[in-house]
Amino acid sequence: MPFSKTKLSFAFAALLLAGTAQLSFADDAKPFAGQTISVLLPSPQDATMAADFEKITGIKVDLQTANWDDVSIKVSTALLAGTAPADVTEFDWSWTGQFSAAGWYIPLNDAIDKDTLEDIKGSALFNINGDVLAIPYTNDFRVMMVNTKHFADAGITVMPKTLDELVAAAKAIKAKGIVKYPIGLPLSASEGASTSWYLLTKAFGGDLFDKDMNPLFTDKESAGYKAMSFELMLYKEGLVDPAATGLKDSDINDTMFAKGLTSIMISGEPGRLGQFSDPEKSSVVGQVAAIPVATMSGTTRSFGLLEGLGIPKASTNQGPAKEFIKWMTSKEFQVHNYNNGVLPTRTSALAELEKSGKLISGEALVAQAPTVEALFPAGAPTWYPQFSLAVNTSINSVAKGEITVDDAMTKIADAVIEAKKQ
Amino acid sequence: MKKSMQLNFLTWVGIGLLLAWSLIPIYWTFASSLTPSTDFSVRPINFYPVHPTIDHYMRLLGISDGHLGGVDVAGQFRHGLLNSIITSSLATVICVVMSLLGAYAFTRLEFPGRNVIFYAVVATMAIPGYAVIIPLFRLMVAVGQMDSYLGVTMIYVSAFLPLCLWLLKGVFDTLPISLEEAARMDGASHMKILTAIIIPIATPGIAAAAILTFIGAWGLYAVPLIFSPKITKPLTVLIPEFAGKNFVDYGLIMASGTIAIAIPCLLVIFLNRYLIAGLLAGSTK
Amino acid sequence: MSSQTTAFAPRKGGVRKNSDAALAFFLVLPILITMIGLVFYPLLSTAWDSLHRVDPLRQGTPFVGFANYTRMFTDQEVQQSWWNTFKYVVLAVTAETILGVAAAALINQIKFGRQWVLAAVVLPWALPAVVSSIIWQWIYAPGAGLLNGVLVFLGFNFENHLWFNNSTSALLLVTVVHVWRMLPLTVVIVLAAMQSIPVELYEAARMDGATRFDMFYKITLPLTRGAIAVAMTNATVSAFNLFDEAIVLTLNSVETRPILLQIYLEAFKKFHFSYGMALSLTVTLISLAISLGYVLRVYRNTRMG
Repeated sequence: MPFSKTKLSFAFAALLLAGTAQLSFADDAKPFAGQTISVLLPSPQDATMAADFEKITGIKVDLQTANWDDVSIKVSTALLAGTAPADVTEFDWSWTGQFSAAGWYIPLNDAIDKDTLEDIKGSALFNINGDVLAIPYTNDFRVMMVNTKHFADAGITVMPKTLDELVAAAKAIKAKGIVKYPIGLPLSASEGASTSWYLLTKAFGGDLFDKDMNPLFTDKESAGYKAMSFELMLYKEGLVDPAATGLKDSDINDTMFAKGLTSIMISGEPGRLGQFSDPEKSSVVGQVAAIPVATMSGTTRSFGLLEGLGIPKASTNQGPAKEFIKWMTSKEFQVHNYNNGVLPTRTSALAELEKSGKLISGEALVAQAPTVEALFPAGAPTWYPQFSLAVNTSINSVAKGEITVDDAMTKIADAVIEAKKQ
Repeated sequence: MKKSMQLNFLTWVGIGLLLAWSLIPIYWTFASSLTPSTDFSVRPINFYPVHPTIDHYMRLLGISDGHLGGVDVAGQFRHGLLNSIITSSLATVICVVMSLLGAYAFTRLEFPGRNVIFYAVVATMAIPGYAVIIPLFRLMVAVGQMDSYLGVTMIYVSAFLPLCLWLLKGVFDTLPISLEEAARMDGASHMKILTAIIIPIATPGIAAAAILTFIGAWGLYAVPLIFSPKITKPLTVLIPEFAGKNFVDYGLIMASGTIAIAIPCLLVIFLNRYLIAGLLAGSTK
Repeated sequence: MSSQTTAFAPRKGGVRKNSDAALAFFLVLPILITMIGLVFYPLLSTAWDSLHRVDPLRQGTPFVGFANYTRMFTDQEVQQSWWNTFKYVVLAVTAETILGVAAAALINQIKFGRQWVLAAVVLPWALPAVVSSIIWQWIYAPGAGLLNGVLVFLGFNFENHLWFNNSTSALLLVTVVHVWRMLPLTVVIVLAAMQSIPVELYEAARMDGATRFDMFYKITLPLTRGAIAVAMTNATVSAFNLFDEAIVLTLNSVETRPILLQIYLEAFKKFHFSYGMALSLTVTLISLAISLGYVLRVYRNTRMG
């Protein structure tokens, strides 16, 4: 009975939380008790989050949720109008450059200690010139996700380490008729298509930009060029569902991978492992595993796409807002929040989950974690949205046969040059 | 005679096509909402729910486990439904009353700038929401009306006033003027004429304007997304949340879509007589 | 909208007229306050911003004149979205006008069940654009979709046909959803005009031996011309504002991206705020100009005819 199981684990986590909370906050005099802060996050969030936080700090939380795209609209509208979208808001890694240039968020350097910064390595993504603008709460480094049953049925015993092995495995699965389209890869004009291409560029042993942020992908021999040709090949060979030109990454995860209709997610999100193990949402329980990203050379690479929590300058409740961020990024809450499919950003929280055997596919995640790079070591540039839009609309057009890979690369590079000019 | 039979037949074929075009998508939404999730992968597809289930509705209304990744679906849904009803009804009442007063002035009274004001108001229908959203946002924050029923309602009103006013002016223009002139001779005031003579005859037109406003306000998305973040969040904003980042549930989306349609549907069906009569007010020759 | 009716004839004596004007002002005041506060003031503010460089990522907001307006002539992405939008407008307005007039004429013919037919026809318009777009996305879906399901049922090989991989069919299908939602408005406006044509006109024509089609072309169409112009105005304005259908069905695809989605991306994603505002004011002006075109044409024809 999944119903009672969830309930039980919630109750258990709450107990745990109450216990640890007493330890860490026992000496606090609840300086902000009675105040209210607003928090804007993508839905869904932990059901008892607001109540739990209030119990500990006396601070009331007005939690506002919306789907991710709508959260982004709400944040930008309020910021453009010169107001605070909320006291604590979602802060995506891709916003760093823009929000830093606009000076919209306060540095959180005084809210986090050195140990925390060490523990949350991903916070470097939000660090511009020494200002930490947000603290990551959800870890989304990429791994590959496979359906082990499909692999076993096709007689494949060794998980692919190289892209050639990956393609061979996909062809074997298709040839055996186990699934029609073994590879899940979004090719729609949406963010997921961009990030998949970034990952494949890494897998081909290259990077997107040099250290002066000049595009590295226009050359035919470049990793980026090869990555897009590779995507087109997978699509043309029928290894990727023809409908992928209209599918977002979430659609492929939910309606294909979780239903056992596809065998390999190229750009897999480890946070979804919990969902894939929940019989209510998935028909592949017990068949899903994460594997380190397969690459051309066989040495795995990955990058992190983290989401953080930040405080807008216009917020009038910055004190209690900092308390909330500290609490939500604490080890205790991160361990608890893993039940909701949020992968911890703290190395210590990951280690604890792994030790207690709760971390699904723990071995692969632990192997992948040290290889995680920053996509933009100096933080996302101000022109990231132009770049990403050019990438995913071009991939989409290439897949639909409107333009060639060559055109696509030129278009993306032109978009970058144009955007940098402004 | 035979020719007219043929023509009649053709007419009904045309009507049949028209009904199919209008209703099949709505039928399909309803049918999908009764189809168990597992049946969505059946090929060839079935044109009706072979194993009908009310499971999606049960989950939506919280009769079975309504927790979707920690969100209380049923509670949010009830709240959203209530908000949709409150804001749409309030907007309708305010919009119709304002338009009634305005339409009377624009059709029965002479005043400087009459045409300019009327056309300026009607022309605002062409303004895309994005053109005004940022200044409007600043304004709502400055006057403390973010996420308040009053603030959201007034934005709805400003969006539908042009259409409402335009319709009512049209209705007032076509009303026979002789009764009013007689009342004027007897010394009745303008307000008396409006409430005692015009409103009773114009009831169908007013009902039509009201229904158009209500349905229009009910269907708004971008405005409440920005201005109704939580307390006043309506159904239209809530529904796409079910397509959250972590879980796409088409059954649930179709079921909530069906409920979102249901209220405007019922309204059109039950108030159909007024709606039609009102829109056909011109035919009262 | 009848243009023949006028207000009460001017009254004798200035006092009455002044008090009328005072009353009129009082009656129009709520509308004025609402529209000035919530529409005209924000619009002016936007117009002012569009003459400056308002970009939160850059320091200062210098006056730039019409630079934001001239910039769109060299911006290829923006030009493609304008082009897409013009296609949407032509397709949608043509379809809504022809189908809307035809549907209104059909409904005008029947005596039995007219109210129920009209109620059913009005329904699509009662749905939020996002909801109807999601419904149609579900209909167009390659696997479980109704459209391919019906085609397969009829014996065509459309089992997994992808409608959105071809830019022409994608653009058409986005238009279909928009037409589905907006057609009722045209039907209702035109039907109202058809209903107000005096029956005597048709009877006289019948005496002269006119066929039903003659009557449609010689009586119905000319007399509903004004209403058709109003309906076309509505159709034009809403086609210029097409947004939800495109973003739900084809996300950010450049081949189907309408100008309003481009505005959203410019202003709210790239934060080229004043550029986005210049584009949105241009949309307003162009859709008003085109609408004015219909209205003037109709009035001129009516006067000459």
